[in-house]
Amino acid sequence: MAVSTELYEAILTGDARKAHAATQAAIDAGIGPMELISASMVPAMNEVGRLYEAEDYFVPELLLSGRAMKSAMELLRPLIAAAGLRLGNRIIIGTVKGDLHDIGKNIVASMLEGSGFEVIDLGADVAPEKFVAAVEEREPHVVCMSSLLTVTMPAMRTTIQALESAGLRHKVKVLIGGAPVTQQYADEIGADGYGDNASLAVSAVKNLCAVA
Amino acid sequence: MNRHFYLDLAARGVRMPIGADLVLHEEPDPEAARRDGRSLGCVIERAAHRWNTPLAMPLMDLRLEKTDLLALASIPEHEAEAYQFSAPLDDRAMEALCDLSASSFCAGSVARDQAISHIASLPDLLPVGMVIGPFSLATRLVRDPITAVALAGMAGDEPQSPEIQLMLQCLRASEAAVLRSIRSQIKHGARAIVVCEPAACTAFFSPRQLKAGSTSFERFVMEPNLRLRAELEQANCDLIFHDCGELIDSMVADFAQRLHPVILSLGSSRKLWDDARLVPADVVLYGNLPSKSFYSDAAMPVETVVDLTRELIARMQACGHPHIVGSECDVLFVPEAQHAILAKVDAIVTCAPQAESPRLQSITRAAHP
Repeated sequence: MAVSTELYEAILTGDARKAHAATQAAIDAGIGPMELISASMVPAMNEVGRLYEAEDYFVPELLLSGRAMKSAMELLRPLIAAAGLRLGNRIIIGTVKGDLHDIGKNIVASMLEGSGFEVIDLGADVAPEKFVAAVEEREPHVVCMSSLLTVTMPAMRTTIQALESAGLRHKVKVLIGGAPVTQQYADEIGADGYGDNASLAVSAVKNLCAVA
Repeated sequence: MNRHFYLDLAARGVRMPIGADLVLHEEPDPEAARRDGRSLGCVIERAAHRWNTPLAMPLMDLRLEKTDLLALASIPEHEAEAYQFSAPLDDRAMEALCDLSASSFCAGSVARDQAISHIASLPDLLPVGMVIGPFSLATRLVRDPITAVALAGMAGDEPQSPEIQLMLQCLRASEAAVLRSIRSQIKHGARAIVVCEPAACTAFFSPRQLKAGSTSFERFVMEPNLRLRAELEQANCDLIFHDCGELIDSMVADFAQRLHPVILSLGSSRKLWDDARLVPADVVLYGNLPSKSFYSDAAMPVETVVDLTRELIARMQACGHPHIVGSECDVLFVPEAQHAILAKVDAIVTCAPQAESPRLQSITRAAHP
């Protein structure tokens, strides 16, 4: 049961203002940030994912819910940092070199954060060496790469090869996604997983973290 | 609009991919050819002749209008692709962006127009222009267009939130940019214009919101495109409307019935034989083989492309709606997969309908019991 049903509802309905207000009210009532995340926010984003898979929610609803979740996190992050706490497994995400599309990547990042992961977003047009540097520095559990164009997909292979050359490939799981990407392509380039859509990407990350 | 020409093409069984990018990459220096009007015109001419079509489909470069628009805000060309507005614009900025009298274009646009002039000088080809649609262009001008549109579609949201305000401003500016581009291409001889609105889809417009009564699709997509349609009609220039995004039936119906293009081009998520019931009989349906997957022989072997092409032809013949077989979108050149892609494009064009196939027989029989 959600610790804050108001926060749960606000995230579910994509109301950022209500999410912010509900979070503040919960903080004022003495509810801890991790409890809010695990008991209200994660269940809300899980339900959002379920509704998306059921084709009841669509991409706009995912983004609105992500936005509501972020407005709650704005209040919680300073408290988490001050208490020396850490969110769940760490994920690095980015759109590959040559590709400026980032909406899909942003949706996945929001949903991962809403699922309790620590997300480091490298943005779009991310060169292989930047992925490598981020993996070296931040030691994530999973690297997620997005590509929306067939012409930029080869950068996913190049990035995996760069991780191998840097001796980092065995330390991290790699998940790929994007409109032209397929499971066959993921297998071909040696990725560990593939997400057909944002919701499935989050499930795939959870699975990869479970076996990591 | 000269519908008979396109209906006749469909009746003749024309098959053509949108493949100028493939032919462009046969040039020794594709990027130089892209920016040289005469070379680009020859590429488009070769593509049309290769696939035996009188429609000289242009290179699908949907970056040009953004570059030209941002030049009016003094954003240099090399920054244009990644540039996004971050806050609502003041009146002076809007005036500059919406200036319909602005006449300077980037090198890519100049080459595009010169290519059209080249095609217009040839007796056997119809010069076709292309623009990105106003909504799709607007989505490239802001960081999170989906949220802005979703907020606009939510009941009770303040209409003047900064995200919505900026999105509406970008839409106005985009419509002006697209109009300038259309006028220039018509001036250089374009007889038809392909308006590409890949963002006018369920990724940007929630069917849930639309079902609840949101007018966002009307406001952001239909209204500006209806104005463009009127402009084209006044110039006696044909509208070809392209949207390869995920759509719901009401979107297809709106495009087909209200924009009433000569050709409606849809992505592979749609079953064209089902969509035929939503489309007037004088609108040719184009497409829609899944060319975005052609790069992968594992995901899309050539045999599958042949099967899909044959099924598409059989089903469209069975439903009786005018149809030109083609790709779901521009078939992009991918260096690693050049041969795989070309083999499938050629398969679309050359494979013979196989009436003997039991699967196809059952399709034909089902339509004519």
